[in-house]
Amino acid sequence: MLSLFQKRVLLILTLLALWEIFPRTGMVDRLLIPPLSAVLQTAYDLFVHGDLMKHTTLSLKRALVGLFAAVFLGLPLGLLLGGWFPRLQQAVEPLMELFAQANPVVLAHIIIFFLGVGEVARTFIIGWLCIWPIIFCSISGIHSVDQQLLKAARSMGLGRLRLFTQVVLPSSAPSIFTGVRLAAGYAFIMLIASEMMGANTGLGYFVVMSQESYQVTNVFAGALIVTLLAVATDGLIRYAEKRIVIWDAAGREDFLNLKSSAAGSG
Amino acid sequence: MAGIDSKQNNIILRWSGVVIFLLLWEIAPRLDWVDPYFLPSFSTVIFEIVRLFVSGYLGIHILVSLWRALVGLSSALLLGLPIGYLLGRRFVGAAEVLQPVLVSLSQVNPFSLLPVFLLFLGIGETAKVAVMGWVSLWPIVFYTITATRSVDPLLLKMSASLGITLKDQIFKVILPASLPTIFVGIRISAGLTFFILMAAEMLGASAGVGYLVHNAAMNYKIPAIYAGATFIVLSGYFLNKGLLYLERLLFVWQEKSSFSPSSGGSASVPAWRPGKRAAVVAATVFVLLLVIGGMEVQRVNREAADIWSDNEKHQRHFGMPVGGGE
Repeated sequence: MLSLFQKRVLLILTLLALWEIFPRTGMVDRLLIPPLSAVLQTAYDLFVHGDLMKHTTLSLKRALVGLFAAVFLGLPLGLLLGGWFPRLQQAVEPLMELFAQANPVVLAHIIIFFLGVGEVARTFIIGWLCIWPIIFCSISGIHSVDQQLLKAARSMGLGRLRLFTQVVLPSSAPSIFTGVRLAAGYAFIMLIASEMMGANTGLGYFVVMSQESYQVTNVFAGALIVTLLAVATDGLIRYAEKRIVIWDAAGREDFLNLKSSAAGSG
Repeated sequence: MAGIDSKQNNIILRWSGVVIFLLLWEIAPRLDWVDPYFLPSFSTVIFEIVRLFVSGYLGIHILVSLWRALVGLSSALLLGLPIGYLLGRRFVGAAEVLQPVLVSLSQVNPFSLLPVFLLFLGIGETAKVAVMGWVSLWPIVFYTITATRSVDPLLLKMSASLGITLKDQIFKVILPASLPTIFVGIRISAGLTFFILMAAEMLGASAGVGYLVHNAAMNYKIPAIYAGATFIVLSGYFLNKGLLYLERLLFVWQEKSSFSPSSGGSASVPAWRPGKRAAVVAATVFVLLLVIGGMEVQRVNREAADIWSDNEKHQRHFGMPVGGGE
């Protein structure tokens, strides 16, 4: 009997094999779905000889800069609003919800008025989308800290700083990580959209250009790389969470955790 | 403090942020703190929305966008609910094995998928609707799996021992028990669909609210850009709030569920059990929207095809001078 892990690996291998076999045997048109090996070969060739490497690193840099900017701004903001200024948080919450609804693609034209069409605007667009889940999740993380725990810690004479670093932060860490994961997912979605709209480098541009010149294999190669980057980033954050948040292992495995907290932040 | 008083205070406090923001938006262009050409004041934008609405221009685009979203969402429901039920109840082992594949598929970027769908389905409506369907499929599938899995086994055993048929079990036990969770999935799907639809319409469409903004930007109609964007933000906000409200209205009895994390205070919402009449009304509206929207979409696309030749390809890209990036 195979273990779950073995079964999963087997299934993935089967699917990949099917991707290879169907186009090869002509059951689907090779021109529409090129076989896996051709896609990998193309990706490899473009990496070594072409400029796919440049596109990938540029895209990755854009996504990461936007994401990190969002974390560095959003996390302190969320923690401050959630922990220290509950009334201010109440006052700005509807405004933040409205802002979170403000689809940056739609705002792009307006952002361009003020920031131009360069990297700054693109980073701003990505950062804008990423910051809201981080803020909302860190606020809700702070609010979900066990009151009993807080009172107990306080009655044992913990100072404000240590209360924060040793009680509040660890308790809200799972929620914060959820926010960061959501934000990372958004960063990649937005990255590709913003590169499709008006850039001359990056993976989004690469995919659009390949599609317009009917280089189907290149489209698949580009889409594959984008997916791999997104999955890898998500996996990395999940791994980090598992290593850092060792006290909240229960229920973390359920992939729904990600989606359920997306509810509030849209 | 009296209860009413503090409640009013709360509302004032809650909305003070928005009010201050809107005031700033109104005052800043008027006092020339920012160039009013690039940032029209809030009242100008609202007038523009009203003007667009009255002229019927906005209505057409709303209808087109709504039609796309509805078709995408309902095909996702038609596909996702059975898949979710099968994976959640019938083939539990298979679901476990499939999980990494499903999660990876759900991570496939909808925008990088768009060119692939375009290759298969052509540049018509089908590709756009397919992307919408794809985006909204995953939350529905995942939530349906979770929902059907976590149906109280007591209910299942009880109904089985009473000799329930499979059909009745699905529609009278499993469906009602899992509906609250499924509804959360639908709400998330709707939000995502809305989000992606607006973006997709800006990237390449000949109608729709997203296109309206794009078109305004192409022609430097700056108030219209703000009008479209504001309209989109507001409708996204109210879509989310409305669905949340409906959820609370419909599933009050599920208050204990782990999926209603709304921070208390929902006790004042009255329960609402939609009867036959509500279902008929909803179905009629749905069908009407589909038919009228479909006709409108066809008309708009035909018109776009006619002027395609003299309009060149400018819909394809975003309107920024392509290549002005770095």
